[in-house]
Amino acid sequence: MDYSFDERGDAMVVAIRGRVDEATWVAFGVGLSDGIEKAQQARLKRIIIDLAGLDYMSSRGLRVLTVAKREGQEAGVEVELAAPNEVMREILAISRYDKLFKITETVEAAP
Amino acid sequence: MLVRFWGTRGSLPVAPTADVIQKKIAHALVAADGRKFADEVEAEKFVETGLSFAAGGTYGGATPCVELEAGGSSYFICDMGSGLRQLGLDSMRRNAGGHPKIYNFFQSHLHWDHIMGFPFFVPAFDPEALIRIHSGHPDAEEALRRQQEEISFPVPFDWLRATFEFVTLTPGETYEIDGVTVETKLQHHSHGSYGYRFTDRDGRVAIYSTDSEHKLEKMAVEAAFIHFFRDADLVVCDTMYSLADSVSMKEDWGHSSNIVAVDLCHEAKAKTLALFHHEPTYDDEDIERMHQETVRYEELTRDGPPLDVICAYDGLEVRL
Repeated sequence: MDYSFDERGDAMVVAIRGRVDEATWVAFGVGLSDGIEKAQQARLKRIIIDLAGLDYMSSRGLRVLTVAKREGQEAGVEVELAAPNEVMREILAISRYDKLFKITETVEAAP
Repeated sequence: MLVRFWGTRGSLPVAPTADVIQKKIAHALVAADGRKFADEVEAEKFVETGLSFAAGGTYGGATPCVELEAGGSSYFICDMGSGLRQLGLDSMRRNAGGHPKIYNFFQSHLHWDHIMGFPFFVPAFDPEALIRIHSGHPDAEEALRRQQEEISFPVPFDWLRATFEFVTLTPGETYEIDGVTVETKLQHHSHGSYGYRFTDRDGRVAIYSTDSEHKLEKMAVEAAFIHFFRDADLVVCDTMYSLADSVSMKEDWGHSSNIVAVDLCHEAKAKTLALFHHEPTYDDEDIERMHQETVRYEELTRDGPPLDVICAYDGLEVRL
């Protein structure tokens, strides 16, 4: 699992690649925390987690998203999700995480 | 080992209303599409094979009570929810056939839904019965006596004629009880709860882990649960809430989700997961949907041998 940052408009895009599971969830959390900090420093109001390169995410990864959402709230940065693949779309629905996060089909579609 | 579920609902007992039953019957009649049945046996076969479980049956509404037939001569019972009443009556039938009147209880905790069946446990009135209550909580006796004080119940605990023993178990210790190896583990729940690992003489392992919340800030210690569940033949797990609910509006309510249960069982290389402690506001269709979604989640996230995901219901028997 690796990640990269890209500032686009009023958002910090964090692109995730690989899998988030029991072996990589800690690094995923570090990446999201970095993204929130970068967004805050750049005075950006949101981070968009680009899931296009993500194969799948276990419950650890989903719960890390919740931790990031809370960190973001404290920092004044909203956390959004974009471009889930079919597997992630199902996982987000089954876990009901599609009720907790704003999710767009593409990064570009995030208003 | 045989695991028999007498109560699988969380928080409080529920029962379907006349309206719900009428809808089930109407649905079945439409599904039969004018077919004629020679007798009730044939009709029951149609219900069993032609309808979904939710449509033709029910997951039940008694609160937690799970029995293990683990090869010893005594009864092994996890929790005293309202399902205990029926187990008690059934045990009287077995006792009449020569079954020893020795009951080994293993309490996850002492909240009302897990002890409410005890005042209706008929063997407690039998002077020949030995009732041994194992608990991680040292105040199990206090909890049972209190619920039978006159303000709450007309029959005081002291009227019960059986012989009682209260045994406090310590997490990390191993106990040999009637040929079964028993271990317990502290879980996160209000006033604490305890999971149990039962290993019979043939090496079959059943885990009973209910009323256990897996907190966001404690994900790093979930390795201890993976170790506790390791290679289990059956894991009975609290799957009361969706993952989203368990980390938002129902955080700190002391329960877990189907998603976390699957992940823990995958990591532990368990063979079967039984979804348990069903939300009382869920009807049968809700529980069935949750079961189907959990089966699908297991397929999507499997990275090894498949985990069989079953949904516990009152009356289910699972042979390991």
